[in-house]
Amino acid sequence: MPPQNWTEIVESGYLRLFHPEAVGGTGGSPATQAAALEALARACPGTYWTATVSALLCAKLIFTYGGTERHGDLVRSLVEGRRLAAFAVVETEAGSDASTFRSAVRPADTPGGGFYISGEKSRISNAPVADVAVTLARREKPPGDDGPDWCLAFVDLRQPGVRRYDIPHMGLRGMPWGGIVFTDAHVDAADVVPVPFEELAEGMAWGWLKTSFSAIAIAESALAASVRHAKERVSFGRPLAHMEGVQAQLAESRAQIDAARLLARRALHERVAGRSARDLIAKLKIYATEMAVGVVVRAVQIHGAAGVTKGHEVERLYRDAEMNVIGGFTSNRLREQVAESTGLGPAVYAEFDWVTPAGLGRDPSGLDGP
Amino acid sequence: MTLLDAPVDTGTGTVGAEPLLAEGARRLADRVVRPSAAPRDRDRGWDPELFSELAGGGPGPGLAGPLVPLTRGGGGLSATQTCALLEGLGEGSRDPGLALAVVVHAVLVTVPLRAFGTETIKLDYLPRMASGEWVGGLSLRQTQGTAQAPAAVAARPVPGGWLLRGELDLVAGAPVAHHLLVVAALDGGGRTAFVVDREADGLEVGEGEPTAMRTCPWGRVVLNDCFAPDRAVLGTVGGAADEVEPLLAVLDWTFTSAPWIGVMRALAREAVGTARERRLFGRPLAHDQTVRFTLADLSIRVELASEVVRRAAAGFDAADRPSRRDAASARLFAASAARDIAERAAHLSGPFAPSGDDLAGRAHRDALFFSATGGGTEVLRPVIAASLLELG
Ligand SMILES: Cc1cc2nc3c(=O)[nH]c(=O)nc-3n(C[C@H](O)[C@H](O)[C@H](O)COP(=O)(O)OP(=O)(O)OC[C@H]3O[C@@H](n4cnc5c(N)ncnc54)[C@H](O)[C@@H]3O)c2cc1C
Repeated sequence: MPPQNWTEIVESGYLRLFHPEAVGGTGGSPATQAAALEALARACPGTYWTATVSALLCAKLIFTYGGTERHGDLVRSLVEGRRLAAFAVVETEAGSDASTFRSAVRPADTPGGGFYISGEKSRISNAPVADVAVTLARREKPPGDDGPDWCLAFVDLRQPGVRRYDIPHMGLRGMPWGGIVFTDAHVDAADVVPVPFEELAEGMAWGWLKTSFSAIAIAESALAASVRHAKERVSFGRPLAHMEGVQAQLAESRAQIDAARLLARRALHERVAGRSARDLIAKLKIYATEMAVGVVVRAVQIHGAAGVTKGHEVERLYRDAEMNVIGGFTSNRLREQVAESTGLGPAVYAEFDWVTPAGLGRDPSGLDGP
Repeated sequence: MTLLDAPVDTGTGTVGAEPLLAEGARRLADRVVRPSAAPRDRDRGWDPELFSELAGGGPGPGLAGPLVPLTRGGGGLSATQTCALLEGLGEGSRDPGLALAVVVHAVLVTVPLRAFGTETIKLDYLPRMASGEWVGGLSLRQTQGTAQAPAAVAARPVPGGWLLRGELDLVAGAPVAHHLLVVAALDGGGRTAFVVDREADGLEVGEGEPTAMRTCPWGRVVLNDCFAPDRAVLGTVGGAADEVEPLLAVLDWTFTSAPWIGVMRALAREAVGTARERRLFGRPLAHDQTVRFTLADLSIRVELASEVVRRAAAGFDAADRPSRRDAASARLFAASAARDIAERAAHLSGPFAPSGDDLAGRAHRDALFFSATGGGTEVLRPVIAASLLELG
């Protein structure tokens, strides 16, 4: 991101909107927050991700789990744009399955020496450039410690023991993305916050909400481009806008984006009012991100070859849209969560072995038997 | 009654016979079945004469026994040809319920008898089934192995045969059948398939019909220590899971889909007619591009569905075993296409009083039934996945 852009984002007050004055925020109304989220994501989804992961998601996580008393300064530095944060959860194995996460925090050998963290986080937004990482890690527990198995560690990334790498990616290219390797990186004792794993989804829901607004904005940009093109492009003697087939695509997109946006605003309203709305946000993230993919596919189609030409706006949006479906809990992972919230009970994962005993696991004989 | 205007060298898999067979069946069904489809649907009527006429008295393959070999008095058609015949039946009859009754008789009950029946059973049953004299029935719950429910019938051995006990619902053909195909669980594990005569002691047919497919005769069958002789066993004792069950599943997935290809063609064609007649904003609906695109998409889906169903049928004509994956994916695709087409056709015909034989309305209701049977997506998807992943 060009430094000038970052300066302007900081000056615009965007980063402050989501937080109370006590930590340097301006406590924007839900409507203002929603408008700002969408406006920045309309302008550049990659920049939006970078700024919002840090100032909204990470700041909320630190705020919620670390508390402002000890970590007010850290939150303030993010809100004022002096520092940039990453949220490091996923590792090189299956990101959906926390049991594959290995990164761990262990106490230093000397009393008062804080902690050391080791492990590798991968596919993390802002990782290559961030100053600090809100990192999910296992706790190496001394005997007698029956606290949670997991913690969030607020790790300073500008220290020996931290190596970063870039991962080239399909969409959201304005956002740096990559891995972080911790090799006995130091963390202050106060910056290791034990958290029960189940509680984490509560904080992560801010990320789902952020991603939903990104999707809605991408869809809106794609629709705006489609409308523009339909009015301009002449085919069979009149602009495409006169073709009902094109109109139908625009109308479907309009209806779907409106539905997603209304739900997003309601969810944000709930959150700002201090309510969890976690299940609602999970539903929103699934719909909004997949909806945006559909809208963008239509937009590319309406643009014809221009839409698949490198450098065209909808070509970029096409690549961006899918990133939201996967980033920060995939749709399917969230569907599991929503299903559970409907009262179906928790997901049941079992070895797939029931087709053959039911008599459906073999090809049958032909017409004349064996 | 002949199905064909031009002679076809049936039974030898003559390339190119399928279109003629389909066209012959379409015309016959159009003349014999279609005029009464709507009233029979209203009254849940079954017309034995109509079935006899479809079964055919004259030369050429009748609809009752296309898969019965010529030497046993049948049509001697290949599976692919039979599939074409059933497509024609669906299209001409515009009667999914009756077509289902025909498929249950002529394919789902006939083929397991042909493939696994004892010689005496084949000798007795196949010619009479082919002529339409004896109608076969079975419960649609028994065509997906035990995927949906454990076998509802139990069999225990007695001297000279077996005593069957249990209840089956959704038995297509029950009230008019001469015999039923029944899969029963054995005490020590395993399942056996039987052919059970309708008149056997201890077998009762009661009422019980689904709201859809009203032109198919339905019933609920209670077996109360009903005796089935050893010769009525189809295949190996305890071997149904490897023999009759996978065969029944693949037959259901493939051949109950075949008439729907024809029904879909009829629906798509009718939708074109509707679009030409109706007006919207003072213009013919046919000028509306979204309607045009919808109809274009419908015609695409019909062609795709037709291909996958035919490929599944062709599996029975090849040297290798028929593929359960092909059959399950054919059904998955065809059922979704049928629902979609029925819904769009109903949508196009509008919320007004039905006109004509109301195929759109009937098919909308029946397509739901079609897509829920054969196991529905919940059975078809894991079967396909099991085959793809070599698991399950
Ligand atoms: C744009 C972007 C930004 C990201 N930013 C961050 C970040 O800031 N911090 C961070 O920690 N991570 C980040 N990630 C990583 C992201 O959280 C993971 O990619 C995601 O959680 C999925 O993990 P995975 O890629 O390993 O896929 P996997 O977990 O391997 O899943 C692969 C596929 O299997 C499906 N699947 C997995 N489990 C199940 C199941 N139980 N049932 C059915 N289907 C299942 C998934 O839905 C997916 O389709 C980002 C990813 C993207 C694309």
